[in-house]
Amino acid sequence: MGDEGRMRRPSVFAAVLLLVALRAGDARANPLDVFGFGSRETAMGGAVSADVTDFSATYYNPAGLALAHGFELSIGYFRADHSLYMNGKDNGVDPVKGMIGGAVVPGKLFDVPFAIGVGFHVPDDRLTRVRALPQDQPRWEMYDNRNQRLWFGVDAAISPLPWLQLGGGVTFMAATVATLDISGHVDLFGPSDSALRHEVNADLTLVAYPDFGARVEVTKDFTLSAVYRGQFALDLNVDANVRAGVGLGRAGDLTTLGILLATDTVDSFLPQQVVLGGSWKLLGGALHANLDLTWINWGAYVPPVTKLQATLNVPPPQGGWPAGIAPPTPPAPVTITPIDIHDTVVPHVGLEWRAIARPSWQGFVRGGYEFAKSPIGAQTGPTNYVDCDRHSISAGLGVRLLRPASVLPGDVRFDVAAQLSVLPTETTLKVDASDPVGDYTAGGHIWNLGATATVGF
Amino acid sequence: MRFAFVCAAAAAAAAALAWPSPARASDEDLFGWGPRSPAMGGTGAASSHGADAAYTNPALLSRVHRNLLTLGWSGASYDLHAEGGGLPGRVSVLPAKGFSVGAEVPIPFGGALKDRVAAGMVFYTPSDALVRGRILYPETPQFPLLADRSQSLAVRIAVGADLGWGLRVGAGFAALAELVGAIDIVNTAGNAGAHVDDQLVATYAPTVGVAWDLPFDRAADGSSRWRVGATLRGKLAATFGVTVDASKLSSLALPPFNIGGVAQYDPEEAALEVARESDGWTVAAGVTWKHWSAYPGVFEPTILCPASHPDCAALTPPQIAFSDTFVPRFGVERRFDLPRHASVSARGGFFYEPTPVPTTLPSSQAYDLGAQSLVDLPTRFFDTSRYVFSVGAGVDMGDEAPFTLDVYAQYHVLADTTVTTCNGGQCNPDPGPAKLSGNVLAWGLMLGVRF
Repeated sequence: MGDEGRMRRPSVFAAVLLLVALRAGDARANPLDVFGFGSRETAMGGAVSADVTDFSATYYNPAGLALAHGFELSIGYFRADHSLYMNGKDNGVDPVKGMIGGAVVPGKLFDVPFAIGVGFHVPDDRLTRVRALPQDQPRWEMYDNRNQRLWFGVDAAISPLPWLQLGGGVTFMAATVATLDISGHVDLFGPSDSALRHEVNADLTLVAYPDFGARVEVTKDFTLSAVYRGQFALDLNVDANVRAGVGLGRAGDLTTLGILLATDTVDSFLPQQVVLGGSWKLLGGALHANLDLTWINWGAYVPPVTKLQATLNVPPPQGGWPAGIAPPTPPAPVTITPIDIHDTVVPHVGLEWRAIARPSWQGFVRGGYEFAKSPIGAQTGPTNYVDCDRHSISAGLGVRLLRPASVLPGDVRFDVAAQLSVLPTETTLKVDASDPVGDYTAGGHIWNLGATATVGF
Repeated sequence: MRFAFVCAAAAAAAAALAWPSPARASDEDLFGWGPRSPAMGGTGAASSHGADAAYTNPALLSRVHRNLLTLGWSGASYDLHAEGGGLPGRVSVLPAKGFSVGAEVPIPFGGALKDRVAAGMVFYTPSDALVRGRILYPETPQFPLLADRSQSLAVRIAVGADLGWGLRVGAGFAALAELVGAIDIVNTAGNAGAHVDDQLVATYAPTVGVAWDLPFDRAADGSSRWRVGATLRGKLAATFGVTVDASKLSSLALPPFNIGGVAQYDPEEAALEVARESDGWTVAAGVTWKHWSAYPGVFEPTILCPASHPDCAALTPPQIAFSDTFVPRFGVERRFDLPRHASVSARGGFFYEPTPVPTTLPSSQAYDLGAQSLVDLPTRFFDTSRYVFSVGAGVDMGDEAPFTLDVYAQYHVLADTTVTTCNGGQCNPDPGPAKLSGNVLAWGLMLGVRF
């Protein structure tokens, strides 16, 4: 091994430190699973884990960052519009839209190629949304709210050998734990005249999970990849404690009111994933043919239904309740039915053809396909987690300008993508003929359009 | 050519402004951020030359000419005292500790932009909680501008450009995430459930800076020894606002509860500084204006009067008249050059942070369950002016190894202050004045890796 071997140890150590420390603020989430990250990658059906070196490697395979040739900055935008129907009526699922982008900063540590990558998707309307509905209320479980969130990833990668790249990091996201204390006096005849105050003790706490990837160049024209993405969920636990006197106006208290509300919501659950991919260079490198298989551990899924514990303590007033005030009765909690859901394997295929190769510019044509079988079982019982199989067909174009100006010694790339996801109509027949929701058919399609610009130095 | 260069620099700055920053906090406002600035009395608007410029003055990021990643560990412990009627003496405060990441990256344009543009990123997260929001009852003894403000995530990204003629400009921004939403209790045939809809919404604040290398007293290599810098940081406020509607929990007519308040707040700030760099010495002095008079305070009413009843009798929280402050700063660094481009630096500094909180606080109202009536309570929203002394050291291993190491410590002495806590009210018993004192010890260690 000699001096060279000794010199490489601290570099790997430093890289591991950086892997652990850097991937911060990342909300590894679902919009990128469904709609892709980067116009080139979306156009190729997301089949790029063995064929990605730009900012989108922070999502698809961080190991690819180590192959970046120079500093890169990318910025883009995508918008996905849902046309999802139940019984012929559009359910008005919100569009997913926002900016995407990132940067790749390559360098060397003790002569070992090393790189840092940053990637982000910032929704137009909000960073994240936690929405929990009663379990019997029909909702498009995979599309209604889960894709409404920020994604922000920072990764590091090294290439210890010319044919091997490793990368990854630890992802952090925030869960919410809050305790609310409300005290004072409730005016039953004029609720808005109640003399109440509150105290808040809230923490956004750290949720951490790992992700890492490897890329192995088997031959000059054939590359394999493996990626692991950890499990993730947003917890929202809010406890409220109400201690108040209850009366009519401010003239003393008839009795006291004690309410304890404990809500526990798990939202935006993203199961752990393993991706195995391959990339073949054909026609002398002009054609890239890629295949990814993604195992998704949906069996561990926790649906966003709030568990509520409500305690109501209101002793009857001396002399009984005044006329017009119905005696309160403590409510019973709702029993939550477990969701029927199972693991899936999602195939992605993608092609990229360098159709034009001139000294000053290149042109690319891309296409891809993805099939995501629904992991959710038939909703024949009281729950209504609506979902269907999804076929996503995508296409795109790209232009790469080589050394376009003296201040831009690298290249400038423009990519556009269009993706059509078709959800074939499926019919759900309820076991209970008196089910309040009843039988229904569901299906639809989603259009996703995007564009990305990259400056490479 | 110059026009093209300025346009490209503006485009780079705009790209930085478009970057997402999920969160931001006051740790850097209290103690500063970076390897050098906290050790130099929080100066840097004219003297930073690394990732800390993302906070102190983005224009000075243009002095970055190498990739450097820094990993840091920092903390602060508090010894805060409030003496007087009904007061505990020592006010219990959780220590702050967290880790930070900084990155400084030159953007390798060619031609007229070569070696002129660089970006910097600052990230800090407390180790216990990303963001801690404490909105306590006004009568609870608390130092909300000092203790809890340090418990929050911070991300800041900026770009700086050297325009030539000694003029540098920069821009970037930071953000905080605020929680808004609603929890509605639903009651279906006697079964209680909940409908939850909460959102984390970003609130952003821009930072812009400018620096000018003064065209006199030049060194032998032609570089200017004097520089002035100015930075404007926008206001950054994060609210906590959740509506809890339990009106369907029972037959009682309960009002919707507005559980809200300002969980984190940094005022708008403007910093002006002059620095001299020569023969290994850096000396900087400046002043920072903080627009605390726009601070709305942390408290919000629990019951919001409906539009149909705008003059309802719900309680209103105490209104505190905060005032603007001016923070004078001074910092010095001595760098000793060693062979193979290595160096060792010693640093020191001082700043005086006046309190924006008045010494006379209004009383607050509450409903006393025992007396079954409204009562006046003292408002114990405490803060004092601080005298802050800082020291630090740094090592750059140069060509020997791609590492740097920097450490700093700050000692904050809280000025003895007497506060009236029940002005305009009839607190029973009257607590009398509160006497405030204490100190804060803050420290940090940062390891840098060039790549």
